Amino acid sequence: MNEVQTTRRRFLAASLVFSSIAVAAETWLRGAAAWAGTRDPATLARFGRLLFPLDGLADAVYVQVMDRVLMSLVSMQPGDDVLMITEQSLNSQQAGNWFDLDAAAQIRAIENIQHEAHFAAVLSAVRDTFYNDPAVWAHMRYPGSSKEFGGYVQRGFDDINWLPEGRS
Amino acid sequence: MSRRYAHDDASVVVVIGSGAGGGTLANELAQKGIDVVCLEAGKRLTLADIENHPPTMFARMGWLDRRIGPMVWNGKTVGGTTMFWSGITPRIQEHEFRALSTYGQLDAGTTLIDWPLTLAELEPYYDKAEDKMGVSGTHGIPASAETNNYKVLKAGAARVGYQEITSTRTAINPVARNGRPGCQQIGFCNSGCAIGAKWSTLYTEVPAAELTGHFELRTECMATRINHNKTGKVTGVVYVDAAGATHEQKARAVCVAGNTVETTRLLLNSESAMFPAGLGNSSGNVGRHYTRHTFGIALAVMPGEVNFHRGTRQSGIVLDEQYHKPERGFAGGYIIETLSIAPFDVSNIVGGWGQHNAAFMNNYTKLAGVFITGEDPPEAGNRISLHASEKDQHGLPVPVIAYRDHANTTAMREHALKMSKAIYDSLGASHFHGGDIPVGAHNMGVARMSKNADDGVTNRWGQAHDVPNLFVSDGSLFSTSAAANPTLTIVALAIRQADHIAERMQHQTL
Ligand SMILES: Cc1cc2nc3c(=O)[nH]c(=O)nc-3n(C[C@H](O)[C@H](O)[C@H](O)COP(=O)(O)OP(=O)(O)OC[C@H]3O[C@@H](n4cnc5c(N)ncnc54)[C@H](O)[C@@H]3O)c2cc1C
Ligand code: SF4
Repeated sequence: MNEVQTTRRRFLAASLVFSSIAVAAETWLRGAAAWAGTRDPATLARFGRLLFPLDGLADAVYVQVMDRVLMSLVSMQPGDDVLMITEQSLNSQQAGNWFDLDAAAQIRAIENIQHEAHFAAVLSAVRDTFYNDPAVWAHMRYPGSSKEFGGYVQRGFDDINWLPEGRS
Repeated sequence: MSRRYAHDDASVVVVIGSGAGGGTLANELAQKGIDVVCLEAGKRLTLADIENHPPTMFARMGWLDRRIGPMVWNGKTVGGTTMFWSGITPRIQEHEFRALSTYGQLDAGTTLIDWPLTLAELEPYYDKAEDKMGVSGTHGIPASAETNNYKVLKAGAARVGYQEITSTRTAINPVARNGRPGCQQIGFCNSGCAIGAKWSTLYTEVPAAELTGHFELRTECMATRINHNKTGKVTGVVYVDAAGATHEQKARAVCVAGNTVETTRLLLNSESAMFPAGLGNSSGNVGRHYTRHTFGIALAVMPGEVNFHRGTRQSGIVLDEQYHKPERGFAGGYIIETLSIAPFDVSNIVGGWGQHNAAFMNNYTKLAGVFITGEDPPEAGNRISLHASEKDQHGLPVPVIAYRDHANTTAMREHALKMSKAIYDSLGASHFHGGDIPVGAHNMGVARMSKNADDGVTNRWGQAHDVPNLFVSDGSLFSTSAAANPTLTIVALAIRQADHIAERMQHQTL
């Protein structure tokens, strides 16, 4: 892991993730590159949408985000492949491949394994990339850094208009 | 202008750390004409280095050296954790200075004591601290501007019957003052304030001290040991500079303000034949009674847009629950404070995945949020110690942090989250999340002031009970945690300590 990635992991911990999960996420990063080769981006995007379903967010954004996670992993050394373990674990929940199930069945399978450490590691890493992505932010109507625009002092920091008048 | 002192100049006071405690103390001493060398482990940034992007800034100014145990969020930069802080600055209440007398010992595990000083004694210093820091609603400074998030809190709190709802008590300039601008509502102040509207010692105390001509700041200088002589007085501080070279700065007195974990580590690492358990640690209390406040976070999806990312995280508080009302089922009280966080943090705090998480994320612009801070009883088992074999990059033992919530803390959090839910429900919230945040941002107690030398590490002035010219000057001094965010009190205690040191120097007793 390079220095930026290392501090990024530490920031994850500081961002209120229990440090055990952050450590597990590092393990995942080492293994995910191997898994990447076995799945096309569209399938991964479907997985991303199940984890973090944002209303109306285009497939293209999920594809782009998941693709970017995986691209960034290519240079990493192989290690314990928690993503592979997660897939095996999902597949073992029912007859047939998890990727071929309908959405409701896929969700049920995830629910069955959601407390397992490898799944927590996968979830943590996807969350980190997904919710720090500017295209995802834009969809959520969070515009990112405001310093360049002089903050919100003239741009609606106090423009709330639906609160009941006065104190009732 | 900035001075340079020789390493063998034993007339200087060495201050370790340039954050809330150390930066303030150093400036106060320098203003009195006392020569100060401040050793700071981190780099000196300028406002141009501040980006409105939390992960970048955590990497740039956070304390990233290896630690074992639950997360403690500290700065390693000139200004210390005042670069990250939110600026909330309430005073500790009178009864909280008498924690043991007011609450009684909660059980066999708690180690409550009374502070060896009273609110009345600290009040003049609170006044000075508020003036220095520019606390809204004090000294003719207007209230903080009311952000959308605060307006939601204010309306909901009024509906549940709260009365002490105020947009004051924040050390962020509402309007320009003392050469610093008013807040521009840039948002996410916890990655540093790019315009310097939020008080930080980086651009207040440190440059003010430099102007006196009695102050030298040495950045990227990590203090590793405090030396003493045969009579048990400290004589100098050993440190490692940016190039890795080791030096000793001689000193007339030494003041340690590294923030709890590092303050503990430095004292314990300074063990010697005379102080085998660590400097200032004859009582065995260094590192013990570590408290970090009852913390909690509440987020709610409101019926309309809030856009809490617009503007300062902190624009107001509710004080009604800060009192000691044992009928609620716990000792001490808590404060409800506005909170706004970026998308990743919301997802992370709500936790989980799928529709549960998305209920909040699909409504990011409708979120309102609060942060809870409350009294946290000290326990002997909550402590910072040194690892027996693991070493950091300087060859120093890695700190081990042990902390768990007391049942009082858990009960208080439950109550606070129930009340937070009522606040948001009263305005028609559709989803609510309430939970803990397992991070030490308010760190206190590891070298606590005590009347009796057996109960703590320092006396009522923050001087070590067993070393006459060694002082502790940060949150480590707190005898108990109280409910208030700690920094105003850290600053008030530092100003008071500077008066005490100057007086003793004048009387040649230091
Ligand atoms: C996100 C966040 C929000 C917060 N919000 C609030 C708030 O709203 N209100 C409030 O009251 N408090 C708040 N706090 C807490 C506040 O930041 C701290 O209470 C305060 O900064 C502590 O001051 P200090 O002097 O003890 O330590 P710090 O400010 O941490 O300064 C310690 C300094 O010592 C240096 N140092 C440590 N060891 C050594 C060594 N061996 N040699 C040389 N230098 C060393 C460090 O690099 C650092 O610069 C917040 C904290 C965080 C993380
Ligand atoms: S909101 Fe105000 S105080 Fe906070 S960073 Fe922006 S300008 Fe500074």
